[in-house]
Amino acid sequence: MSFFFQELVNGLTTGALYSLVALGFSMVYGVLKLLNFAHGDLYMIGAYIGFFVIQWFGGAQHLTIAVPLLLLIMFVLAAALVGGLGVAIERFAYRPLRDAPRIAPLITAIGVSFFLESSALLLFGAQYRVYNTADFISLSSGIQIGSVTIDSVQILVLVLGVVLMAGLQLLVNRTRLGRQMRAVAADREAAEMLGINVNFVITATFFLGSALAGVAGVMGGLLFNQVTSTIGFIVGLKAFTAAVVGGIGSIPGAMLGGLVIGVAESFVTGYISSTYSNLIVFGILIVVMLLRPTGLLGRAQLQKV
Amino acid sequence: MSAGHEPTGGTAAPVLELDRLSLSFGGLRALSELDLQVREREVVSIIGPNGAGKTTVFNVITGVYEPSAGDVRFGAHPGPAESIAGRPPYAIARLGIARTFQTLRLFMNMSVLENVMAATYGGTRAMPWESVLRLPRARREEREARVLAEEVLSFFGQRLAGYRWDQPAYSLSYANRRRLEIARALATRPRLLLLDEPAAGMNPAETHEVTELIGQIRDEREISILVIEHDMHVVSGCSDRVVALDHGVKIAEGGFDQVANHPAVVEAYLGRHPEDLAGAE
Amino acid sequence: MSIDPQGPKVGADEWVARQGHRREYLPSWLGHAQRAGERVGWWPRLAIAGLAGLALPLLGLGGFQLQVGIDALVIALLAVGLNIVVGWAGLLDLGYVAFFGCGAYGYALLSSPQLGANGIHLPYWLSLPIVMIGAALLGLAVGLPSRRLLGDYLAIVTLFFGEAFVEVTNNVAPSKLGGPNGITTIDPISGFGIQLTTNESYYYLLVIVLVVTMAVLRLLEYSRTGRAWRAVREDPLAAAAMTIPVNRVKLSAFACGAMVAALAGTIFAAQQASVFPTDFDTPILILIYAGLILGGIGSIAGAATGALVVMVIYDGVLRSPAEASILFYGLGLLTLLVKLRPWRRLAVVLGATVALGFAAHAIAAAIAPSAVAGGPQSTGLIGDGLQDWIIVPGNPQTAQTVGNFGFVVLICLALTLVQVKGRWRTILLVPTIYLAAFVWEARLVNEPSITRQLMIGAILIVMMISRPQGLLGQRRVEVAT
Repeated sequence: MSFFFQELVNGLTTGALYSLVALGFSMVYGVLKLLNFAHGDLYMIGAYIGFFVIQWFGGAQHLTIAVPLLLLIMFVLAAALVGGLGVAIERFAYRPLRDAPRIAPLITAIGVSFFLESSALLLFGAQYRVYNTADFISLSSGIQIGSVTIDSVQILVLVLGVVLMAGLQLLVNRTRLGRQMRAVAADREAAEMLGINVNFVITATFFLGSALAGVAGVMGGLLFNQVTSTIGFIVGLKAFTAAVVGGIGSIPGAMLGGLVIGVAESFVTGYISSTYSNLIVFGILIVVMLLRPTGLLGRAQLQKV
Repeated sequence: MSAGHEPTGGTAAPVLELDRLSLSFGGLRALSELDLQVREREVVSIIGPNGAGKTTVFNVITGVYEPSAGDVRFGAHPGPAESIAGRPPYAIARLGIARTFQTLRLFMNMSVLENVMAATYGGTRAMPWESVLRLPRARREEREARVLAEEVLSFFGQRLAGYRWDQPAYSLSYANRRRLEIARALATRPRLLLLDEPAAGMNPAETHEVTELIGQIRDEREISILVIEHDMHVVSGCSDRVVALDHGVKIAEGGFDQVANHPAVVEAYLGRHPEDLAGAE
Repeated sequence: MSIDPQGPKVGADEWVARQGHRREYLPSWLGHAQRAGERVGWWPRLAIAGLAGLALPLLGLGGFQLQVGIDALVIALLAVGLNIVVGWAGLLDLGYVAFFGCGAYGYALLSSPQLGANGIHLPYWLSLPIVMIGAALLGLAVGLPSRRLLGDYLAIVTLFFGEAFVEVTNNVAPSKLGGPNGITTIDPISGFGIQLTTNESYYYLLVIVLVVTMAVLRLLEYSRTGRAWRAVREDPLAAAAMTIPVNRVKLSAFACGAMVAALAGTIFAAQQASVFPTDFDTPILILIYAGLILGGIGSIAGAATGALVVMVIYDGVLRSPAEASILFYGLGLLTLLVKLRPWRRLAVVLGATVALGFAAHAIAAAIAPSAVAGGPQSTGLIGDGLQDWIIVPGNPQTAQTVGNFGFVVLICLALTLVQVKGRWRTILLVPTIYLAAFVWEARLVNEPSITRQLMIGAILIVMMISRPQGLLGQRRVEVAT
């Protein structure tokens, strides 16, 4: 029984990570109706940035600054740089295709993804970069509930994840920018005619979504230790699944979807075997697609004839 | 100016019959208990302010929407009409109902001739391998489709003729695009033709042409026609009967003069006179 | 040109109306070539291309180049099949490479020692139809969700199907499917007394198969099936209203595309004599798409040509630094020649770049000799010409780091170039070109596998933004719904 809860905790942790990536993905889809295939690669870049910050401050074994400060810098820098990268990608690769048929930006996104992965390979090399989290965050300082351990990294991920998700919900539902985002997502032309600066809103959405992916990247590095140019692909796929399962374009949906996928993956790995975990995740997607194409929390889109 | 044509009516079962047709989108009642009939070789016009549900009627007839209540009956052959509610659009089209669209939905990147020939799909049977191997049935059907397409296009004189056949549809002028859409609908060999605002955006000369065209289609090809129009010149010039809708409800039916002067119709278009408002309650 | 009194009326005389069909051609002399090609006719062009392809081995194409040719032909066949689904029916299938894999694995299982005691060794003429029909059924199965899904959802589902294929072949039933080690010792294609064992024989087979497939598809394109596919892409709602059974037509597109992919898969498996899960992963899919996009979506000839070009560059040219450099500098100069008008501007830019190079090299040499100690990687004529022009640090480590920075700066410069116009663009062009040559010599030419991936990504991005119809395709008019 405690095994069940342990796996649940593990699943929720990875789920929080998937949720963050799925959120950015869903937000971008909401305003642009674009499936940004390059989103997973933004996660990868974030992970690399975190790694290089650690190296800058002396490396995992000989840190020159306090761990909390290190973490702060890692997260903030990853958010800022990856956010900026996302904005640049939107500006140069997707904006020219705003009014083109859907297939065009999709293929461009595939190209951007491929280009990002290859660039990372070129700049950072093919070898795995290791965070060595255990060297600077003592994993034993966690919480113990019965025989279930939640180590400090997991606590960090969970807390930060919840804070960010709550913050995003607040932003989207209570602020002016959030209202503008929802308006642009509903009808871009109408929003423009109502005086909303659509370009700015889309840029802001991309920045936020990409920043979230960057932060998730650092989390991923802390949790899973290894960073290479291809980690973005599989995380991106799972975030896809999470966003679609939850209902693409829906923010609570992305959060729910991420947790569902994370927990499902954890249980499959724990109870069956890790080889089938990816297949099960895909299976969940297919089932949801067939039974409820708009996702668990999504809304159907009406088309005027 | 009323139509100078004798309606046939009264003999066989109607070609199209809407029986207490209702359609709701959630809480919005788009159509309420609509009764409508179109007889053989008859032109019926539907008029009404925007949002009255006119295009919705077309959408229900052609199977894009399924009615919430009531029935749609269509007589594919002279004989008893059968219910077509709930059938997929392509099946209804094959039975003999063709339409044009308010917003023009041509196959833009295909040539003029291909647009029309595409509509002959339902009337042909050749399988892909037959087409590839150029088997007799495929060759014959292709030839016949081409002949039909050319014939239907020649209905419009020189405009969609000869050199125009291989030009992409997007290179046509607006009026020619509307004509092409009608030609394409005619290529499905319909018994009932639904025209959604065929004269929209046309100048007086073109509008007059459309009015004549509708009459021509009815007479020469013996097709029943249901027309949605805002331009009263067209309505008065070609209709055998006029039906007025407002908020999904039929508010008047009859000849053009009858309907045009009907108080409910005047009110729907122009609103009630303030004096009448005070006196009515 | 007589004016027909019954003809087009005011505002459009017949001569003007007749020009309505005028197509857009590639710029300058490329356009002349295109028009000449069109006068020849599609079928003669196919025949000429086919004969030229068959003649290549006789003209000395052999060994490694032959393998590149074989791979290119396989991808070309796949691109032509993908064109049915994406180009004609307008369905974004991101799992297409799985049908390729099914064909390959299907043939591998049926004609090898893999299954059963000694294995089933079905002859090719039996296993091919079985595999193709199986793939068609699978295509129908994958296409079924397309009934209820909008384009984006279909892309996701097909993408996952493609990923699932790799997962399954990697992890499920390793004893039967071979797991990560794949299936080896597959039978070669044999039938009618011939056995295909040499690369030459597979090359000839592929050329013939490609030509025949293109011919079959051309016949389909202008048949009722082809018209239905294209109508469904243009406007599914209108197509349905015009008697076309949209869902059935979409499914038939999936099935046909799957069959072509399976065909390619069987030949691929027989030629390689082995199949591995990694042969059918996403990078291959991206290659197929790159070829299709470059050549022109919607055009059979475009799909094949684009795929051949992409593969020859990707697999062939970019393997050897010398040839790669020729291609790089050649293409660069060609682009400048075509895009930079008038001639004066081109001369100014080139002259300034050359001058900048020599100056920079001289200054750098004066300051720190080790900074220019390394020579350009390109050999021969290009290498000699670049010796005193390009700055390449002697120390490989430094070269790598500086090259990396240069790469990032180059991207920023290129993006800025896109933003600015006029005089500033001309000015910025000079350092950009120099920097590009530097990054090439210092970094890219040493990492061919990464460089070619960068190229593919760049092709996809640049083509979709600047010329979505590809080199040989036609511009499409999309009506916003």
